[in-house]
Amino acid sequence: MTRLAWRSMWSHKLRTILTMFAILLGVAMITGTFVITDQMDQGFKTIFDKSAQGTDVVITAKSAFTANYYGPSGTLPASLLDLVKAVPGVGEVAPVVYGSGAVVINGKPVATGGAPTLVYSVTPQRFSQIQYISGAMPAQSGAVAINAKLAGDKHLKLGDTIGLTTEQGLQNVTIVGVFNWADSASVGGATIVQTTLGDAQRWYNQVGRYTSISVAATPGVSADALAARIKAALPTDVTVKTAQQSAADSSKQVSQGFIKVLKLVLLPFGGVAVLVGAFIIFNAFSITVAQRLREFAMLRSLGASRRQVLLSVLGEALALGVVASLLGIGAGIGIAKGINSLFKAVGADIPTSGIVLASRTTIVALSVGIGVALVSSLAPALRATRVPPVAALQEGAALPATIIGRYSRWIAAGVAALGIASLVYGMIGPGTTTVRLSEMGLGVVLLFVAVAMVAKYVVRPLARAIGWPMAWVAGTSGRLARDNAGRNPSRTAATAAALMVGLAVVVFVAVFAQGFKSSFVGAIDRSLNAQFVITAQNQVPIPAAALAAVRFAPGVSDASSITVAPAKISGRSGTASAIGIDPTAFAQMWRFHWLKGGSDALLGRLAGTNVLVEEQAAIKYGLSPGATFTMMASTGQTAKFTVIGEYRDPTLLTGFVMAQPTYDSFLPMSQHDPTLIIAKAIQGDTAQVKASIIGALKAFPTAEVRTKSEYSDYLKKSINQFLLMLYALLAVSVVISIFGIVNTLVLSIYERTREIGMLRAIGTTRRQLRRIVRYESVITSIIGGVLGIVLGVFFAWIVTTRLGAQGITFAVPFGQLVIFLVLAAVVGVLAAVVPARRAARIDILAAIHYE
Amino acid sequence: MTEITANCTLTPPPGTDAENAVVMARELSKRYGEGDTAVDALRGVDVDIMRGKLTAVMGPSGSGKSTMMHILAGLDRPTGGTVTVDGIEITALKERALTMLRREKIGFIFQTFNLLPMLSAAENVELPLAIAGRRAEGEWLRSLIDDVGLSDRTTHRPAELSGGQQQRVAIARALVTKPAVLFADEPTGNLDSKTGEEVLGLLRRSVSDYGQTIVMVTHDAHAAAIADRIVFLKDGEIVFDCGSMARDDIYDVIKSLESSR
Ligand SMILES: Nc1ncnc2c1ncn2[C@@H]1O[C@H](COP(=O)(O)OP(=O)(O)OP(=O)(O)O)[C@@H](O)[C@H]1O
Ligand SMILES: [Mg+2]
Repeated sequence: MTRLAWRSMWSHKLRTILTMFAILLGVAMITGTFVITDQMDQGFKTIFDKSAQGTDVVITAKSAFTANYYGPSGTLPASLLDLVKAVPGVGEVAPVVYGSGAVVINGKPVATGGAPTLVYSVTPQRFSQIQYISGAMPAQSGAVAINAKLAGDKHLKLGDTIGLTTEQGLQNVTIVGVFNWADSASVGGATIVQTTLGDAQRWYNQVGRYTSISVAATPGVSADALAARIKAALPTDVTVKTAQQSAADSSKQVSQGFIKVLKLVLLPFGGVAVLVGAFIIFNAFSITVAQRLREFAMLRSLGASRRQVLLSVLGEALALGVVASLLGIGAGIGIAKGINSLFKAVGADIPTSGIVLASRTTIVALSVGIGVALVSSLAPALRATRVPPVAALQEGAALPATIIGRYSRWIAAGVAALGIASLVYGMIGPGTTTVRLSEMGLGVVLLFVAVAMVAKYVVRPLARAIGWPMAWVAGTSGRLARDNAGRNPSRTAATAAALMVGLAVVVFVAVFAQGFKSSFVGAIDRSLNAQFVITAQNQVPIPAAALAAVRFAPGVSDASSITVAPAKISGRSGTASAIGIDPTAFAQMWRFHWLKGGSDALLGRLAGTNVLVEEQAAIKYGLSPGATFTMMASTGQTAKFTVIGEYRDPTLLTGFVMAQPTYDSFLPMSQHDPTLIIAKAIQGDTAQVKASIIGALKAFPTAEVRTKSEYSDYLKKSINQFLLMLYALLAVSVVISIFGIVNTLVLSIYERTREIGMLRAIGTTRRQLRRIVRYESVITSIIGGVLGIVLGVFFAWIVTTRLGAQGITFAVPFGQLVIFLVLAAVVGVLAAVVPARRAARIDILAAIHYE
Repeated sequence: MTEITANCTLTPPPGTDAENAVVMARELSKRYGEGDTAVDALRGVDVDIMRGKLTAVMGPSGSGKSTMMHILAGLDRPTGGTVTVDGIEITALKERALTMLRREKIGFIFQTFNLLPMLSAAENVELPLAIAGRRAEGEWLRSLIDDVGLSDRTTHRPAELSGGQQQRVAIARALVTKPAVLFADEPTGNLDSKTGEEVLGLLRRSVSDYGQTIVMVTHDAHAAAIADRIVFLKDGEIVFDCGSMARDDIYDVIKSLESSR
């Protein structure tokens, strides 16, 4: 029986290869995701571990939670240094000040591809991994050392002057040293600038303060013991950790932070690909089982048991799953390597540490690949066992209907109900984001299965509708194509379902993005009553001094800013935003969309502990006007606030708005820089005013000035770029469904060999035959497209309007839907290329004698 | 033997009546494979198929009947020699032109009926016209379907028809284009004797009533007995070319051919 499975695979090489691809690509995406994120994890861990070398204990300000991953938000008073030095067992001690900024060359900030530019004060050699390649440690004010990658990329040498943006504006500094960090030219893509301690303190508002203190123990004192002693000697508002612990905590933060987000974003796309693959395997096995009916009947009549028949089919699936998964793992590693070199090529080398193939990756990939192969071939395998031995003798015997087949409508209804329940429960039920996303994902998968099950009922009407223009244009070819597509509705439905899945997700994303665009960008258009928006590159805040510069630029009547910091609401999970504005100035340039009877009068009361809440935050934290609550800053400082009004703004002011003085006293210095400045022109000529603002911001090279419409375009463009990435990921699923259509067509053509011979004999040209196949393919793919579009719009509708998530409106991009339908047709044309050629090449004589 | 084959000398040699020859084959040879394993399925066959006659082709298994028919019908190409159909030398035609010629001038009936399962009986009959982008004249179609005795079965699908009925649909399909010549390879091979009889009657009538030219390959002496002419093949050569014969005589010839191998 095992031999039989092998034979069957071998004799249908094309089918085997195509179904393998269906599993392979999904497995490759999952493997690739794990490998990439694991190697990033590993890369960051290596960096943190290396930087901990030579240090035993690290002292930082206590922070309640971390706002960003490369530094604490609070600072330490310099007086702590003496307290630390006095602790017995303390050897060398080094105060450190750091911050982030941007390197400016010829008035332009250096693009880092999203990686941070970190500014560190010098530390004694034993605490740092820095090795100077040329020059030396900066010793005078205005001198800096830079990492070798920056020097190499920008052709900088000792003695050159560069700009460095700091919290005190742009500083002109001279390069006195170039270094490697732990033998490499960059630290995972980050740019590093080393300054004197005094400069760092001045530039980062830490005069008389430090960001952290590194301690080395005297010989014989363990890091743990020393940490305990220091802790006892210092006030309680500082954090004392062994360097090892600190490195481990930092690694964990990164891996629980953006790496986890990356994983959560990428894995579902692998999941979609796997689901598409499952449909294809199910269909491939269903078709072959039907074609091998006689063979099974013959085996049964020769005494093979049902079990043996079952195992022979499942054995084939198992072999397929194992081989495809192994190849998929290989391909996944290949993808990861490709992405690594892609990142290298664009100069954004994320921290990597060579390929990491964790055993978890292998286990998940293998079980997904093999599991999908087995589960999706189970139903066809069970059908094979139902073949009665007598079928061996009957001409044109058909497979007996299974129980599933007979009650498919009811089962489908049940599956759909379960799917909707799971979807809705995931959206409104309790649980963490991951749990709820999984519930929604399960719901979507069940709905896909349900639709695929009932799709066979709409195949014929749809084929008739789609085939109608074809029959009109191409006469009999179109007519035959249409009839062929409707000939075996279950088969066509399952084939179309594979494309449906990929396309539904594409459409969901498109509709969702459309809503996103129209509500986010639309909100800006409606609310912003100013002509200019100023933001900083790389999401780094703009130095506070820039606000005054803009305000006094010629042609500007007034400017105002938005300052944002993370904050926690006591008793609630998640991180909210605390937003500081100047109520009077801001109100001149911003139209609030008041809810619950609020009006601009509320802005007059926005002072002290009074705050305004955005609709979504109000819902999320259950805080309506009148409520009083406690908020905690990242420093751990807490304060009580009272909600005095509610407004809607899905784009900018998404959190709790308070008056600037309240914000400044509640949140630490390091979070005082605005993220966005808006400016109003006295009148008219915006090009001139824009030039004037740009001129006024000479000292702040990272600031980007846009007019209101440029800003909307910029937002739209960012969304589109993100969309493009999602579409690229989804393209894999669409490609897999192409394999599915190819497979079905090839198997169907094989079944119809004799018929095709007859058609050729009575005068059908090769071209007509190719057209028949192509049209059948297009009909199938458009059925998949229509189902996918309907489902995708439905999902988007549920997610947006039914549950009003994030205030995104439901807007259908009809133009795009038409494009997707055309795309589906193109998929059909592409899928038909090989099968059509095969059909046209069929030898008439061989076909007529074909059994 | 001599008395039987006396009838066979009556057939004039090829080329005598070129006017009335629909199909003319000259020096036809077909070799399968190469070298030691090569098989000569046809070795220099000269034959004319006359208009309005039913010609049967007989011979032992492997004698080259199907091969000859396929070549005459433009389904296969000979290794050597020429075939002319209705004045057109088909051995010189390109693939597409050959397809067009089959479409216009040639009809087929297969042993297995080869109907399209998703089309109704009437649609199957019309299929060759539909493929050619032509419409059937309603009158002709109706009388044809009537003649083959399917007027009450036009909307049925092949799966709902008996074997005999299916073959009658196939015959109607072959006749619908009024082909210059109709080829049938063992058309009764898959039918019981009664239905076979009906099908033979139908073929005979289409020759007698419409003047249809038919070439029929058969193993069945009973079937060959309705022919106007019987060509006997052996080892790729025509050994006898006879006028119409009685069943028993045909049987005798076959026997002698099979025993003398
Ligand atoms: N495609 C092929 N390749 C090789 N040899 C072939 C091929 N087709 C036919 N032959 C050989 O050519 C010879 C003639 O075959 P053909 O099918 O014409 O015989 P036939 O008279 O129709 O026989 P039957 O009565 O059994 O149908 C046979 O020896 C056969 O083996
Ligand atoms: Mg034959």
